Amino acid sequence: MAEKKLSVKNLRISFRTSNGKVQAVRDISFDLYKGETLAIVGESGSGKSVTSKAIMGISAGNAIVENGKILYGDKDLLKISEEEFHEIRGDKIAMVFQDPLSSLNPIMRIGKQLTEAMILKNRTARKESKKDIKAMLKAMESKMEAAGVSNASSYTQRFRKMEEKHTALESEYTDALELAKEASARAENLLVALANSKDMVPSGDMKGFIHACKGSVSRFVVHERANEMLQLANSFSGMRKEAAKTNDRSKLIDAVTRAKEIADEAIALDTPNTFTLGCYLTFVNSEIPKTGSVAELNAITRKTADDAFLTEFLDKVKQGVCKSIEETDANRLAAIEQLKAELPVFQGEPKREDVKAAAKRLVPVVERCINPLEVVKDSITHTFESSIDYAIDKYYSGIENNEKETARYEKQQRKYDALTAKGKKPEWSVIPAGLVDVDALRNDMSDVITEITAHLQEQVNSNREVDADKRTMEVIDFLKETEQRAAYRITKGVARERAIKLMESVGIDNPRRRYRQYPFEFSGGMRQRIVIAIALTANPDILICDEPTTALDVTIQAQILELINNLKEERHLSVIFITHDLGVVANMADRIAVMYAGKIVEYGTSRDVFYSPAHPYTWALLSSVPDLDTKAKLESIPGTPPNMIYPPKGDAFADRNKYALEIDFEEQPPMFKISDTHYAATWLLHPNAPKVDPPEVVMERIAKMKEKRGGNDE
Amino acid sequence: MSDEKHDDVLLKVDHLSMYFGHGTFVKKAVNDVSFEVRKGEVFGLVGESGCGKTTTGRTIIKLYDATSGSVYFDGKRIVAGTGAYKDEIKHLRKRKRELAKSSDANAAKELEECARRIGELQNEIRKAKYDHKHCDDEFRKEEKARINEEYDALIAEAKPEDVSRLQREKRRKLRIASRTKLVTQIQMIYQDPVASLDPRMTVREIISEGLIVQGVRDKKYITDQVYEMLDTVGLVHEHADRYPHEFSGGQRQRIGIARSVVMKPKLIIADEPISALDVSIRAQVINLLNELRETMGMTILFIAHDLSVVKYFSNRIGVMYFGNLVELADSDELFRHPLHPYTRSLLSAIPLPDPDTEKNRVRIRYNPLLDHERTDEEPLFREVCPGHSVRCTMKEFEAYKKQVEEE
Repeated sequence: MAEKKLSVKNLRISFRTSNGKVQAVRDISFDLYKGETLAIVGESGSGKSVTSKAIMGISAGNAIVENGKILYGDKDLLKISEEEFHEIRGDKIAMVFQDPLSSLNPIMRIGKQLTEAMILKNRTARKESKKDIKAMLKAMESKMEAAGVSNASSYTQRFRKMEEKHTALESEYTDALELAKEASARAENLLVALANSKDMVPSGDMKGFIHACKGSVSRFVVHERANEMLQLANSFSGMRKEAAKTNDRSKLIDAVTRAKEIADEAIALDTPNTFTLGCYLTFVNSEIPKTGSVAELNAITRKTADDAFLTEFLDKVKQGVCKSIEETDANRLAAIEQLKAELPVFQGEPKREDVKAAAKRLVPVVERCINPLEVVKDSITHTFESSIDYAIDKYYSGIENNEKETARYEKQQRKYDALTAKGKKPEWSVIPAGLVDVDALRNDMSDVITEITAHLQEQVNSNREVDADKRTMEVIDFLKETEQRAAYRITKGVARERAIKLMESVGIDNPRRRYRQYPFEFSGGMRQRIVIAIALTANPDILICDEPTTALDVTIQAQILELINNLKEERHLSVIFITHDLGVVANMADRIAVMYAGKIVEYGTSRDVFYSPAHPYTWALLSSVPDLDTKAKLESIPGTPPNMIYPPKGDAFADRNKYALEIDFEEQPPMFKISDTHYAATWLLHPNAPKVDPPEVVMERIAKMKEKRGGNDE
Repeated sequence: MSDEKHDDVLLKVDHLSMYFGHGTFVKKAVNDVSFEVRKGEVFGLVGESGCGKTTTGRTIIKLYDATSGSVYFDGKRIVAGTGAYKDEIKHLRKRKRELAKSSDANAAKELEECARRIGELQNEIRKAKYDHKHCDDEFRKEEKARINEEYDALIAEAKPEDVSRLQREKRRKLRIASRTKLVTQIQMIYQDPVASLDPRMTVREIISEGLIVQGVRDKKYITDQVYEMLDTVGLVHEHADRYPHEFSGGQRQRIGIARSVVMKPKLIIADEPISALDVSIRAQVINLLNELRETMGMTILFIAHDLSVVKYFSNRIGVMYFGNLVELADSDELFRHPLHPYTRSLLSAIPLPDPDTEKNRVRIRYNPLLDHERTDEEPLFREVCPGHSVRCTMKEFEAYKKQVEEE
């Protein structure tokens, strides 16, 4: 199975309002895997946007998170501080908002808005990466020493030295490449201007071009023709003056064309392997070997680097990794034992001090189970401390609250009864006691323990099959990537080029001119594209799209959806797509969660939900949208969603559901499993329930789709 | 007044153009659009945002002054632009100056021709201006005549005790008729149910405002009308004294519909009435509009970009692209045989609730530079087969005709 990117567990969110507590999200759980699109479908007010905002950490001020976890990496997003969130929001998890009008700053140029986040995020990312590398190298050192490698620190030190070289080379290369690209683009504009317009090109444009040309001359990019490029760059301004005097532009045009050719050639060259080159320069020779092509250069450095340092280094690292796996496994087994032994403390009628003490004993034991040389961070173990503390606090404050509430209620009721006994009719009514389900909270507490036990056991089992070589490569790759991130400096110029490229990729014509415009100069569809581009500038892991196309018309909608799909493929993004339009979902989603009144009522792959919908609400949604063949009267859903201050006792959809059974008004249906991927919460799936078919419209449509599919298969 | 008068045509848009801007900067929001809306039908107008659908709707109810072209409503010219005539006059005067300089033999004859044509055109402009200004007067006159006739007959037959009541009624109706405007027969439903209702007015005030402006003073009559409308659109009488913010989106859109229907219009221009609504509520509003059409015999000009809804709801559909009407046909016909490349691209972009077909869907892109052959010929709106017209050049016209025959 793919890597789990985000997992939401038992999330409950409500809002404090003057009329009472609105229960917006009631106990939902879902996982998001790498590279998939999860669609959340539902009416407005069903809690889709509340969920997504909780993931982004931008819930409204009156929101209360009552329970649950949102695990991302080694963090629980519901419990981290605002400062920690700064590193995640926008950088790792980005969001495209519904309303393109209100999500752009009207007094800032588009370009500034695009690059601002890029530059800021780059700064923090570099800092963050440097910290990560340091921690990783330190862990590596200690594990290597534990494995009996003598002089472990010398290896890591040499590796660092090499990495520094690599970093410098990398940034030199990327800067030069970006400038070469800019030179090429500018040359094109200049050529057009020279050929068509009667006026001479402005000196500013020319200066920018010359700067780009000079900058692109680096050891790898314009490697062979560096001298020619420099000469050309130096002669441009002179040529421009001359051309302005004589009005003969052919010489200037020729020169610009030549420079563009060189720049294009340089862009087309292979990417040099700066990592091995860095190694070569550190340990073998401080001069870059003279070769014909970049490919050859790569081959040479690869070989010499391996011989000189890398093979040996990898071997030592492998020893460290093996040792570390061994150690953590032992720790985990010990932890499992202790967890099992301590579990009874959390059950029954525990005393607060006992539970606190047990938790205090368990936390360090569990923390020792974290393998420092593991690249993918294990969220459950990392968040154990905060989870257990939170659950304990919640349980005991729940008990206190219940006592207080009961006392208040009894007092008020006595007063009321006394008044009515006297024959008076009080104008106020007794507010019912707001009791918390203590049993559920106690179960939450012991669940934390059982969950981590099961999780550790699973890890121990899976570790038996793990390949140490693979792990070693993972560690090295991680270091390489992080180092690259640390080295990748985004200057204003680079940011501009990247922003322009992004604008092109989201389908904006003439991005160089558009870059300097203000939001009001863009149409709605264009603005939405800009919003998407801004969300993508930081290269996020997870993209949350909150109804990104609801305000757009079909053609633009199709373009934006295609764009999001392409980007998802290219960058292995995980996407959470929120919408109420089922047609859009069919195109985008791998999996679909249908939400109603703060609960997920159906959950499955998109084929499950469209071809065999099980919940009456899904039926209603499907039948209320006309398709191209609909002629009959539309089946609208009667009534409105329930008031979530007083959520219904039974199934929330029962009042609007013509298939509702009696039990729907009495008790909430659990999630019934239909297949491995498909779940639905409706009593109709209970074995004792009468058999009910979906409405005719839906059946017909499914039959038609099947027919079409059959036709395609043949 | 118009010469053409079909019995079943309620609204005729004739070469309507609406340009914004001045001097060298001209934005042609609507450019030479012609179509007819028949009595009792739903005419759908689709196209991407910014293509001029809404501008067309607004020009029809005279929210903008048309640049050129005319709109006939119920046989009367309600919008008459003069831009096209003025342009021609300018052109002719230039030609005249040229001719005056030349010494050609035919010049004198052509000069005379030019002068005659200019006179004609000036006459046209005068007529258009008159129509534009006085269409309401004409309408009032007609209304008054109708009321007079109706009540004179009634009074003649009535029993003596009824006479005074009938006369009162007649006076009231005449007073209203003397203040009415033809455009009140066309009402609009707006896109955004939140922004189109005044937050400081109760529902009763919102719905009755039109009646009061018209001069209805009878409180009981107004209340009855308001309640009737609330019933029609599926709200209850208690809602009359609430404010718009107390309603959900679907209910607000219903209030907007009640406000338009209370004027008993012949034509409703629905400008994206469902775009801002939730899926489940959309179905409710569409069903409501459908009911109104059946029970009250209203004609609807339905402006939208959601093609599956337009297909479901409309009898005929016009497709607009950059201010031009590019294709017009019966809705089934349009979806079965789309001819214009833009229509094809639009149809290929409709999302369907079917994951397998969706994954394999190929969207056709429309690029006006590539999809048409380059000619100097200005494409015109031509009828390819009965009831199906496409904007095309002569060569394309032949090709489309062939295509239709083959199919």
